[in-house]
Amino acid sequence: MAKSRNNRDVAPSAAATTQASVTSTSSTANITAPAATTTTAKSSKAAAKSSWDQMVLNIANHYTKSTPQRTKLLDAFMAFLVVVGALQFLYCILAGNYPFNAFLSGFSATVGQFVLTASLRIQTTEANKSDFPAVSPERAFADFVVCSLILHFFCVNFIN
Amino acid sequence: MQSLFSFCVLLFATLVSAISTTGDRLLVILDDVADKASYSKFLGDLESRGFNIAFETPKSETLSLFRLGERAYDHVLFLPCKSKGLGPNLTPNVLLQFINADGNILLTLSSGNATPSSLVSLLAELDIQLPIDRTGLVVDHFNYDAANAADLHDVLLLPPPGSVRPDVKDFFSAGTDASKEVLAFPRGVGVALGGGELLTPIVRAPRTAYSYNPKEQAEVVDEVFAAGEQLALVSAMQARNSARLTVVGSAEMLQDGWFDVEVKKVGGQAAKTFNREFAKRVSGWTFQEIGVLRVNWIEHHLNEAGASNESNPEIYRIKNDVTYTISLSEWSWSAWTAFKVPTNDLLQLEFSMLSPFHRLPLALDAAHSSPEAAAYTASFTVPDQHGIFNFKVNYKRPFLTNVEEKNTVSVRHMAHDEWPRSYAISGAWPWIAGIAATITGWLGFCALWMYSAPTDKKKESKKTQ
Repeated sequence: MAKSRNNRDVAPSAAATTQASVTSTSSTANITAPAATTTTAKSSKAAAKSSWDQMVLNIANHYTKSTPQRTKLLDAFMAFLVVVGALQFLYCILAGNYPFNAFLSGFSATVGQFVLTASLRIQTTEANKSDFPAVSPERAFADFVVCSLILHFFCVNFIN
Repeated sequence: MQSLFSFCVLLFATLVSAISTTGDRLLVILDDVADKASYSKFLGDLESRGFNIAFETPKSETLSLFRLGERAYDHVLFLPCKSKGLGPNLTPNVLLQFINADGNILLTLSSGNATPSSLVSLLAELDIQLPIDRTGLVVDHFNYDAANAADLHDVLLLPPPGSVRPDVKDFFSAGTDASKEVLAFPRGVGVALGGGELLTPIVRAPRTAYSYNPKEQAEVVDEVFAAGEQLALVSAMQARNSARLTVVGSAEMLQDGWFDVEVKKVGGQAAKTFNREFAKRVSGWTFQEIGVLRVNWIEHHLNEAGASNESNPEIYRIKNDVTYTISLSEWSWSAWTAFKVPTNDLLQLEFSMLSPFHRLPLALDAAHSSPEAAAYTASFTVPDQHGIFNFKVNYKRPFLTNVEEKNTVSVRHMAHDEWPRSYAISGAWPWIAGIAATITGWLGFCALWMYSAPTDKKKESKKTQ
């Protein structure tokens, strides 16, 4: 999985040496351009800062370009769940956990939903298709819906 | 005519059986049946109270306290015997069996006769110690009867006994004029009581009395068995099954010669003896005519608004409000009366599982009381602990029969739907909002997911790779 993604990353960025050198996650990039890393290390701090900005921009661009619509939707939903869960946890720390079952069910609803959504993301990503030959995206979504409904039932029941 | 006769028989039967709560068959054991003449007033009093008296000597072949495994008599009165032992029919073991079978015993001692070894063993078994050599004499050089024992000082004059403790009901004290009446205790034996809680002294010796062995002819008394208030002249033992045994140190105090006679205190003041009334009370207490408690009924129920008013349910829930009521009567000579707890005492209810979780005083409930029965009640909240609990009333006091009542109930935990709803607790609202946000977010996500079909272009590009 990691290999395939790296290959994809390297292919468009071969021309720009600065970018290739900074994406240190790809081991192949480091090996292919050892001379480039030395030149960037000598450059000034401002140049380094701009290169960081550029790197973030690059990642964002790459993400918006190469990620399918549904995966983006999944990511947005997961980010939303993280925010909601963090808010509930923060409230518990600040205001106390008096109806503790309420806190548990509210917080675990977001956590459980996050886990289920992550599973859906793994199962529907094109790159992982070889790992799940028997699971079509439709089947994965149906599983996701059923499990989520069970989770919601448990949480609503537990908060009473 | 016949109905009238049967009515009379019935009336007579109720009159006779109404005297003691345990029965009217009284066995008197004495050396010589002719001796009973000197106790005629005492025995006459007993007979007039409804006792059916039988007389036996220890040597009698037919004497047996049990017949076919059941008690042949309800009560036994021992008058002094000259013989050393009491024979095979009255061994200490048989007497203990008699007590275990709810039989009552009134024992009298006398300094003139050595106490039979059988009785000494029985008393030793109950932690009541007699003087060494089974004989002793209590004398008091300050509280003697100047009229009858000016020389020997062996007739003690005592004030009528008062209450043993402030919280114990007083059954034996004098009626109206306590100052004028004295208790004559002629030529008696004092005993020393052990520390057990079943033993209670009814009459203690005065501070100046002591016990010595009259057979030792020494000028100076070397070894005093016991002195002062260590000596119990009349003492009571109530077993755990409420059978009673009383030891009267002087048999002579029950004789006709000491009933209602004039005696003279050392100070020169003449007084009348209280012995006859005292003998009646001591025998009445021993033979279960006074101080007998009865539990009429026990009731407990939920004490909550809107709850069912079922009596004695088998199950409660934790934190339920519960009311418990117990009705008690006391037998007093001839009738059941409402039992009144002594002023400084408390009747308590325990709500216990292994150990008490609550121990509460029971208060008199006038609404459920009558002249024959007093109801005592307590309301409380069941503890926050589920399990098998007992409502327990454990009332064991000197001179009153034991009350030990246990009613078992289950206490269950809260059912799933008995908790307050989450929306009723304002503290839970943020987390309700959290769940609502998660679910609506999920619904929105599902809708968007189903409307955003994967583009074919993407698939094609993947395929080319």
